[in-house]
Amino acid sequence: MRTRRLLAATSATLAAALAVALAGCGSDGTGQPSDVVTVSSNQCGSTWHLAGPGWHTFEISNQSTGGGEIDLIDPANGAVYDEIENIGPDTTTPMSLDVGSGKYAFLCLFQDFSPLAGPTVTVGGHASGTAAILPVTYNDVLPLASKYQRYTETGLQVLARETATLAADVRHGNLTAAKRDWLTAHLQYETLGAAYDAFGNFDDEIDGRADAVGLNSPKWTGFYRLEYGLWHGQSAAELRPVASTLDTNVRQLLASWPTQQIPLLDIGLRTHEILENALEFQLTGHDDYGSGTTLATTVANIAGTRELLSLLHLLLAPRYPGLPAVYTGLEQLQALLVKEQRPNGTWVPVSQLPLAAHQAIDAACDQVLAELAPIASIAEPRNTANDF
Amino acid sequence: MTSEPPRPEPESQPPAPAPAPSVKSPGPGRRSFLRGMAGGVAGGVVAGGVAGAAAGYAYRNTPPDPAAAANEAALQGRLPAVPFHGKYQAGILPPSQRASVVVSFDATADSRAGLTELFQTVTDRARALTTGYTPQPVGIGGPPSDSGVLGPTVVPDGLTVTFGVGSTMFDGRYGLAGLRPAQLVPMRSFPNDNLDPAQCGGDLIMQLSAGNTDTVLHALRDIAKNTRGGMQANWRIDGFLSPARPAGTVPRNMLGFMDGISNPSVTSAAQMDSLVWIQPGTTGEPAWTAGGSYFVVRLIRMFVEFWDRVDVYEQETMIGRRRDTGFPLDSDSIDGTPDYALDPTGDVIPLTAHMRLANPRTPQTESSRILRRAYNYDRGLDQVGNLDMGLVFTCFQQDIHRQFEAVQTRLIGEPLVDYISPFGGGYFLALPGVTDSNDYFGRALLA
Repeated sequence: MRTRRLLAATSATLAAALAVALAGCGSDGTGQPSDVVTVSSNQCGSTWHLAGPGWHTFEISNQSTGGGEIDLIDPANGAVYDEIENIGPDTTTPMSLDVGSGKYAFLCLFQDFSPLAGPTVTVGGHASGTAAILPVTYNDVLPLASKYQRYTETGLQVLARETATLAADVRHGNLTAAKRDWLTAHLQYETLGAAYDAFGNFDDEIDGRADAVGLNSPKWTGFYRLEYGLWHGQSAAELRPVASTLDTNVRQLLASWPTQQIPLLDIGLRTHEILENALEFQLTGHDDYGSGTTLATTVANIAGTRELLSLLHLLLAPRYPGLPAVYTGLEQLQALLVKEQRPNGTWVPVSQLPLAAHQAIDAACDQVLAELAPIASIAEPRNTANDF
Repeated sequence: MTSEPPRPEPESQPPAPAPAPSVKSPGPGRRSFLRGMAGGVAGGVVAGGVAGAAAGYAYRNTPPDPAAAANEAALQGRLPAVPFHGKYQAGILPPSQRASVVVSFDATADSRAGLTELFQTVTDRARALTTGYTPQPVGIGGPPSDSGVLGPTVVPDGLTVTFGVGSTMFDGRYGLAGLRPAQLVPMRSFPNDNLDPAQCGGDLIMQLSAGNTDTVLHALRDIAKNTRGGMQANWRIDGFLSPARPAGTVPRNMLGFMDGISNPSVTSAAQMDSLVWIQPGTTGEPAWTAGGSYFVVRLIRMFVEFWDRVDVYEQETMIGRRRDTGFPLDSDSIDGTPDYALDPTGDVIPLTAHMRLANPRTPQTESSRILRRAYNYDRGLDQVGNLDMGLVFTCFQQDIHRQFEAVQTRLIGEPLVDYISPFGGGYFLALPGVTDSNDYFGRALLA
């Protein structure tokens, strides 16, 4: 699970020693010009000058006693050209970019200090450089998180009805119905991909793999454990507690859901992580414990990805030119997957896919993952001067 | 396909190396059969071998050896760029770099246009990677454009990208059926082969070679990353070139013998034109193949444990050369030309010796010579704990039937087959070169 350091938004202001300096043009050893830009908690660089647009390396020297984030922004709208997400005290970190013609300012975001913008510097000429991206703010993402919370809650309600049916099937000894209802419920769970982090231990209990504990361990619970039993001839009596525990865990998760919180960062990160997991565990067949439905699981994962994208769509559309290719790529992948569902509704196990079909699916998944990858960075909520 | 070619920023590099010094320089005169037969070996070389570690110092005090200098440069990751543009692909003639990977791909592009885009992307990436550049940061716009495996600046390190097509590329999928090169067929199985279909063939073949493994793997990751939707890797094998030991230019294979001594002269345009490059107007060949070369890959396991249980005399008679020196058994020079006419019954170099069957050195067999460019491989263990190592045999030629298959047919049943097992590979056509910045791999095929 990835974590990203979040700068606490704070309004506290403290005076600190003024230390702003700007050294002349130096060299970073590669022959490219570089400048030292000194930042601290109460001044964010000073006037600097570039002879013209072009590749440039700023050496950002943090003279403050704490860590912080340094952005290079377009002061007109706060769009970010580049950032150093975490710069330690008394350290110097290079920031390299293709500086185009336009207006620039450094923005300093130190722990426990108000955001501070440095002076605006104009780079002349008519050259385009690294494009600035309008940052997504916490205020942008907060309402999406609540919306996603509600989506997940609705999804869990559906899931709880489905696992109740599944548990009843097993209780009544109807394992044929149980196989059918297992798939329905598992696919429902797999559409809730973005919420794994928030599910905490529940995810291990509900959808854990056998790898850590072994196929015969009583500690292995959840959908995959039940799948293994259903498709390996285990008896209803043996599976009754397994199905019952699964149902109980889902109901407990649903009950606790209103108090759970989805980390804001997860919404962007999960747009590619759901399918990264599908590539690693479903398309390889790793998570096929007998039902041969990992391609169906991947389709459910696409639905989960789409849900996140629809939440983020308005934020991404103006910021990410690759977004249409994401949607096209998801459609292509889905079309290839649903071709492997047989007329009677069953799925071709990934282990039985002909090579060409496997390669086409893998390629489509690889391709859409490449298109999805930038979203995590673009949709990451950032502090901006306007937040305060 | 996400293709954002970084702007190549050519570094100030020393000029490209001169073509490989031919290993066929005139050597000292041949010794008599009988001396070879008696196992007499030139004293100097033996002394060098016995001196062991000390020999390393001695070499540094001898006049500069171009091969050693190249090794030094390679160790530092500083091999100069091999010019990418040219009539022929750049990775075929130059001296082999130390590290290599051969990867087979199947095309997954969904249309002819997608396939063309794939070839253009491979070209763009190959051009940039072999030239060197500084990847541009993307700011907050996404993950970095480069893996960083080579640090902030991508150095060429002698990288070459050899790109080719297999026979399956010419099925119905992309409308290329009428353009199949005349000799491009699935690799045939020879009597001593044990081919694994999962490690054979493929629509596309790519060989990446450079001074160091990190350079090769960086290039592989970069190309794969930029061609995600267009092709999927099928099988892959990593190769390495051993240093020439104790000296010289010819590396050893895992059998302990020098491999690749008697290659056609890459500095002879006439030899290359008659043996390696498909010539314009060749009967039966589509015009687009001119300047290409048939590229045969054979993955050959060597049963080294078994081999190590065979006495050296038997080893040498199987190969036809001395193990320590690489001298033909009838010669006192590595460059010596074995005189089979003087040894018609194989008293010195058996008629079934690998070297003798592969290249009988007769006027009739001259046109069957191939340009070998083999690498050693080492990839772990087999099911009984034996070492899985051997040879990534690659060779280039104008005509598979006249050359590789003729050589391989002569080798059927050679004594060496007990110790080796070809298990994979394929027949491919290395595309003509990319002539300039507007050209791309396969343009004549796809345009």
